[in-house]
Amino acid sequence: MTFTVRPDADAKLRGQVAFATDLSVPGMLWGALVPAPVARGRIRSIDLGPARAIDGAVAIGPADLARWLPSAIGDAERPVFPTDRIQYHSQPLAAVAAPTRELARRAARAVRVDVEPLPPIEEIEGFDPAHPGPDHPEVIAHVLARHGDLDAAFGSADFVLSETYRTAGVCQVALEPHACIAEIRGEVWHVTTSTQTPFGTREDLASMLGLPEERIVVEGTWVGGGFGGKGAPLVEPYALLLARASDRPVCLALSYREEFQLGRTSLPSIVRIESAVKGGRITGRRAHWRLDAGASLPGRDFTTGYAIGFILGPYRIPAIEMEGYAFRTNKPPLGPHRAPMAPQCVFAEESHMDHLAARLGVDPVAFRRSHVWKEGDRTHLGQKVGPFGLDRCLERAGALAATWRKDAAPNTGVAMGVGFWSTVTGAGGEARLVLSPTELKIIEGEREIGSGSVIRGIVAVAETVLGISRDRVRVDYHDTRSAPFDSGVFGSRTLAALGQAVQKAALVLRDELGKRLSVPADSVRLTEENGELVAVSGRHRALIRSLLTETELAAGGLTSEGRHYGTSGEIDTARIVEGTFYPYTDFTGAAHVAMVKVDPETGAVRVMRYAAFQDAGKIVDLPTAQGSIEGGVAMGLGTALTEETTWAEDGHLSNAGLLDYRIPTLGEIPPIEVHFEEGFSGAGPYGAKGLGEPPIIPVPATVGNAIFAASGAAMTEIPMTPERVARALKLL
Amino acid sequence: MTASPARLTVNAVPVDLTPVPVDERLLDTVRWRLGLKGTKDGCRTGDCGACTVLIDGRSVLSCLTLTHEFAGASVTTVEGLEGDPTAARVRAAFEMEGALQCGYCTPGFVVALTSLLKELGAEASAEELTEDLGGNLCRCTGYTAIVRAVRRVHEEMP
Repeated sequence: MTFTVRPDADAKLRGQVAFATDLSVPGMLWGALVPAPVARGRIRSIDLGPARAIDGAVAIGPADLARWLPSAIGDAERPVFPTDRIQYHSQPLAAVAAPTRELARRAARAVRVDVEPLPPIEEIEGFDPAHPGPDHPEVIAHVLARHGDLDAAFGSADFVLSETYRTAGVCQVALEPHACIAEIRGEVWHVTTSTQTPFGTREDLASMLGLPEERIVVEGTWVGGGFGGKGAPLVEPYALLLARASDRPVCLALSYREEFQLGRTSLPSIVRIESAVKGGRITGRRAHWRLDAGASLPGRDFTTGYAIGFILGPYRIPAIEMEGYAFRTNKPPLGPHRAPMAPQCVFAEESHMDHLAARLGVDPVAFRRSHVWKEGDRTHLGQKVGPFGLDRCLERAGALAATWRKDAAPNTGVAMGVGFWSTVTGAGGEARLVLSPTELKIIEGEREIGSGSVIRGIVAVAETVLGISRDRVRVDYHDTRSAPFDSGVFGSRTLAALGQAVQKAALVLRDELGKRLSVPADSVRLTEENGELVAVSGRHRALIRSLLTETELAAGGLTSEGRHYGTSGEIDTARIVEGTFYPYTDFTGAAHVAMVKVDPETGAVRVMRYAAFQDAGKIVDLPTAQGSIEGGVAMGLGTALTEETTWAEDGHLSNAGLLDYRIPTLGEIPPIEVHFEEGFSGAGPYGAKGLGEPPIIPVPATVGNAIFAASGAAMTEIPMTPERVARALKLL
Repeated sequence: MTASPARLTVNAVPVDLTPVPVDERLLDTVRWRLGLKGTKDGCRTGDCGACTVLIDGRSVLSCLTLTHEFAGASVTTVEGLEGDPTAARVRAAFEMEGALQCGYCTPGFVVALTSLLKELGAEASAEELTEDLGGNLCRCTGYTAIVRAVRRVHEEMP
């Protein structure tokens, strides 16, 4: 496959791409949020008067909201402003707007907030989750599934290994903070924003503001990194309300501190996992998961019911039990962070696998391969496994690990970890293509977020179907009024799901061209001649211009549409005792290998080499696919080694900044080898599988296992900071 | 807060700014007074490098620089590197190695690497150049493609 330069590269390198933080509108005001001074408490009063006294400033609070939009209080799970109880530290209590950023911040500080503080509820262990007491967090989701004879498995085991793992909260840290510009245009509430989901944001805004969806228009901008953090409204409702209050356009951009404090990040969890082993095989496994869900949001059961599916591993185990609890605490709402909670669950499960192999004295690769799912197997919930290349990835990764082990110096260890993911292809979408005499336009609502899945992924699908040169395909971005519906850029679904809609729309176009040329559709290719597109089939050639009707020419071209609304697999509901579990749609495996060096005196870990073997289905665009894996691995190294939100006793985030919350820097990333396994087709176009999330999943476990191999320290908590490694080595 | 006029040369054009508050950041001056939005507003605490500009040829973080501190100096933003042959080589290497994704950190990398190449020239190794870029954060690429781009531009140095 030849290398292709991204079509957005040049403009981005010249600084010509406008992000939401770069936009301005004449007459625009700047917005700012008034943060809750405590993590939990009762609001006695909010006095907006001093803010309103500032020249040119407007201020809004819960009372204004109730007056203008009485139905806005309908979405109790997601209050724009709390009216009574503060749910988390820095929760927006009011909002202000003023002619400059500085004045807006001054106005926000001027608001007088009087609260009665209460001790925050943060602890998610040390009590019976089925019966939490008054000082314990409320259970907001509970799932339990069982299958097989667990008592027999554990009763007759040669040994049982029981371990507890802890995982920290991690932030998305897209470099672009959340930002938007809102404007009221007559009846229409219009917002231009950096979002992964224009349509989902419209739907959520309608619910939060109590307005019909038709009155809200969401226009996407280029997104400066999403990673799950820009999948739901955050700044938009406040900007819209301020625009309503001031009758002016309002720009609201979070400070980077607020980005940490308010961003919908992942939160701490605790995994207890135990396995019964007999005759070298795992005969039974139980996992118990406690998740801090913060102040929570609608759809909260999804994380529990989805991520818990990864907690038992992609292995054949005859008897299983998995139980998960999500608790409401006084932290900001839990949100999706690239492969939500999967790296955390997999860290526990895959570390446990290496600890089991060590106890058995067997090769961890062979141990995994003797249990790993293959196509046709059943998952723990009885779902049939589709084409799944994990065993092949394991085989190749194992061979590489053996080679690396020969080079391993003292205090250096080589190990592996695996992960699997299910591309969210069930989330639907529609595509509209317009073929003009000179170009093919793909009409889209969502902007490129960086991964390349829009600007390269779906474009490559259209190119492949129509044989058209990439220079002649353009993604044309529309707002939610005129773009075809799509679920958004998340869940590794863009290429795999929206790509199918694009593929269908392109096939419709090709069929139509075939008819007009009176040739078989699959023989039609588009080439160009003197700047004009030409349809070619064997010896037939015709200018697209000559194939279009007057009406089509006047309308800008020949339009075609494609829809993809996927179905997901079926799980065996008899295995579910309580709660909602979500089936998978596409099985995507990955096996990673790391070589790490552990300083035996300080516990500091350095990753020397890294390799990812990715079950990818069909690679549609190699540089995009490779970039996704490299970026995902690096992000996973942050989760593994340095990234952790730390919460003070009073419930505030004590490391809300890039100096104290450490993401990987350039010198810390080892060379990353990327290998694709294309033998196992996915549900996407031409057999593609989604690659956005899979590469982050195995990383913490892989690094932890390499630390174990290097030093004998069995790591049970991420991030694996020098202090934690030193403790595991009994140096502290 | 007091404000007073400030004179700068930005991208080779002298500009008289008036009045500039004493606490105004160079980042806001170039972005909001001069409309040069290629310089990105990231953390505003000097940790991410997205706001990197050149002052008299050396890279600085414009979010931590007060406009008045460098009155009279020559400021170059990413827009001012349009005709610069070193920057052109940097851009070409980033394109060929796929060293950008969302693009938010990208102008900062282009400015910082261009200045490093000019400052250290052919004497620096690719490793030294890479190390000196440690103040520029990127969340999308995992840096691997950026390291490849640095090597490529280093190899192709005249």
